[in-house]
Amino acid sequence: MIRSTLDLPVTKKTYQLFFSILALSLIGLIPFESMAHGVDENTRHFLLNNKGVQFIAFMYIGAKHMVTGYDHLLFLVGVIFFLYKSRDILLYVSMFTLGHSVTLLLGVLWDIQVNAYLIDAIIGLSVVYKGFDNLGGFQRVLGFSPNPQRAVLIFGLFHGFGLATKLQEFQLPQDGLFINLIAFNLGVELGQFSALVFILLAISFWRKHHTFQQFSITTNTLLMSAGFMLIGFQLTGYFVI
Amino acid sequence: MQQSLSTKTLMKSTAIAIIIAALVLITIILPAEYNVDPTGVGAKLGLTALANPTISNVANKEAKQSSDNFDIIVPAGRGVEFKFSLQQFQKMKYEWQTDGEPLYFDLHGEPEGDTTGYFESYAIATLNKMEGSFTAPFTGAHGWYWKNKSNTPITVKLKVNGEYVIIGLKQ
Repeated sequence: MIRSTLDLPVTKKTYQLFFSILALSLIGLIPFESMAHGVDENTRHFLLNNKGVQFIAFMYIGAKHMVTGYDHLLFLVGVIFFLYKSRDILLYVSMFTLGHSVTLLLGVLWDIQVNAYLIDAIIGLSVVYKGFDNLGGFQRVLGFSPNPQRAVLIFGLFHGFGLATKLQEFQLPQDGLFINLIAFNLGVELGQFSALVFILLAISFWRKHHTFQQFSITTNTLLMSAGFMLIGFQLTGYFVI
Repeated sequence: MQQSLSTKTLMKSTAIAIIIAALVLITIILPAEYNVDPTGVGAKLGLTALANPTISNVANKEAKQSSDNFDIIVPAGRGVEFKFSLQQFQKMKYEWQTDGEPLYFDLHGEPEGDTTGYFESYAIATLNKMEGSFTAPFTGAHGWYWKNKSNTPITVKLKVNGEYVIIGLKQ
């Protein structure tokens, strides 16, 4: 690592600032309600009783689902962890957006029935994949790394099915369905964007610090671990419920 | 792709990831989410109580709530049924326990006026206690069948809360 002589000495304050930002960004990832599967009670009532186009409301539900959907966010953290250029970040996030928008829209419109637990387990797998990939695991084990852009697109498709299953639970009326879906999808992107802003802020701040190098292995190991937890959590749900 | 770790470090990282995930799942997540608690740690931490989080805030809003306690004796080697009449979409919150001995049970409902013997099961297991809630999918008789496979009678302490009419014991 190149360190210029102009680097500020690492004072206690810098550490405190760093850790408080890290803590804040982590809090954003912690589920306060069990959101990663299903929606909360008020939203449930709304969706069950809603008829016709409700643009802003559906947009809000989409945004809220994304901001509080720690499974999607963990994957995004993994994806942008080692992306330094804004062009790359834009490219990868666009691939992810393209992937999940396609399956979200088609999944609901064509009423493709997939098991929510299995889809959410695959979403967990996507988190494991990204953590392992960030550790250089595929390069080491297979001798090559699966095309990361294609992988983000493909896992994006599964994330979209996950979003679709949340809406399909409610057998939304056909009346205004398409517009409501577009609104929900837009909301998802808005939510993703606002979550990304915070994740990027935290990560780029962290990158400037030498602990980023030290802890990048730990972080990606923990990312994998969180992915394994998601898989176990959802597969148990599949077999128990 | 960005790191060049040795195979050993990579394997170590992966193993640690799996071990942490397994520990957290078994002791915390599964007890709290599904009341699946193989080690008993979840119950000690009070997490299994979380497994049915929606009961309290939903059920309390209903007006014609009632609450009852029953002591039901399941004779040795026999099965008994204890039922309540519920209208469609009415909710019941329940909690029962034995004095420690596990019982096979089937929580189910039979549609009103049905003569074919059809029933729908909501939960089947062998446990010494259970708590939860259900919403009647149809109007009819809903409740438990307990089967005592031991040689001594077992008393079930049942506590219910919700909108129902007691039917009671059916042998």
